[in-house]
Amino acid sequence: MSCESYDWKAYALGEMARPERREAEAHAAICQDCREEISTVRMTLNALSTLRDEEIPRRIAFVSDKVFEPRWWQRIFNPNFAAACVIAGAILVHAFAHPAESPARVQAEIDAAVTRAVAEVEARHAAQTQQMLSVYDDRIEQMYKTTTGLVRQ
Amino acid sequence: MIFREVEDRDLIAKARRGDVEGYNLLVSRWEKRVFNYLLRLVANREDALDLCQDVFLKAYQNLPKLDDPARFSGWLFRIAHNEAFSLLRRKRPEIRDGEMDVESQAAAAESGGRLFPLELSLAVDSALKRLSDDQREAVLLKVYQGFKFDEMAEILDCPLSTVKSRLYTALDVLRSALAPVALRGRPGR
Repeated sequence: MSCESYDWKAYALGEMARPERREAEAHAAICQDCREEISTVRMTLNALSTLRDEEIPRRIAFVSDKVFEPRWWQRIFNPNFAAACVIAGAILVHAFAHPAESPARVQAEIDAAVTRAVAEVEARHAAQTQQMLSVYDDRIEQMYKTTTGLVRQ
Repeated sequence: MIFREVEDRDLIAKARRGDVEGYNLLVSRWEKRVFNYLLRLVANREDALDLCQDVFLKAYQNLPKLDDPARFSGWLFRIAHNEAFSLLRRKRPEIRDGEMDVESQAAAAESGGRLFPLELSLAVDSALKRLSDDQREAVLLKVYQGFKFDEMAEILDCPLSTVKSRLYTALDVLRSALAPVALRGRPGR
């Protein structure tokens, strides 16, 4: 490529893509004229960089003014406010749908459940005892019959 | 507790909800850059300060129209550009967007070798004033504000080729004006 095909201003301003930049640098390494062109552009940019920013004489600040404040409907349609409303609504609906129970009622329900459980266990034990007694009676009766038969013999 | 840098987008979101303090913080981040851009463009402190206030007021009023908060800087400088050129047109009606100040450019090119080696920054300030408004603005946006060519094209609302043309012409004029000073300022000369 010829020297004219390289945009040395874009190169010095950091606007050249990396592959293009590498190719340009390879050319500059062997071309004195292009190196001088780069040097001149950089000298201009360095000179420009000596100009410092001035401090602003008066800080700019705004105060709240009703003219610029959002209207009521803008506040309502604010995403955060809308999300808070949805959450609050959900809590209220849940509270009405599932009202909280009194402690006495809860205690009574617990007592009744315990009583039912105890009765069920007692009934189960009584049935088991009755079954065991029945088996025991049968065995005694059988032993009695066996003993009586032996005596007769 | 998690610490996170407050970004412009956070402040923009606050300002959009009507939080003036959030907007003031955003202003404090950008006012110096915008002021210096305007100052070098209109070359008058009072005008630059008035324009700066107008720019931030218009930015606040138009924040809801900003589609992408990541492009706030370009959008803000677009407003600053419009305000500055509106003032320049009122003060100098003969100057139009895109029109070259040929006399100033020629004077700069001719007087390049006659500049005295005063402080380099003074020479730069003087050299910048010799550029046309469009050329000077291109230098300000690229060299001092660091915008890319495509961002400049958006701010100036013109083709990228126009941006490059203005900037390159300006750099040639500045090179002619500043080369003697810069060379004299080099060690050993």
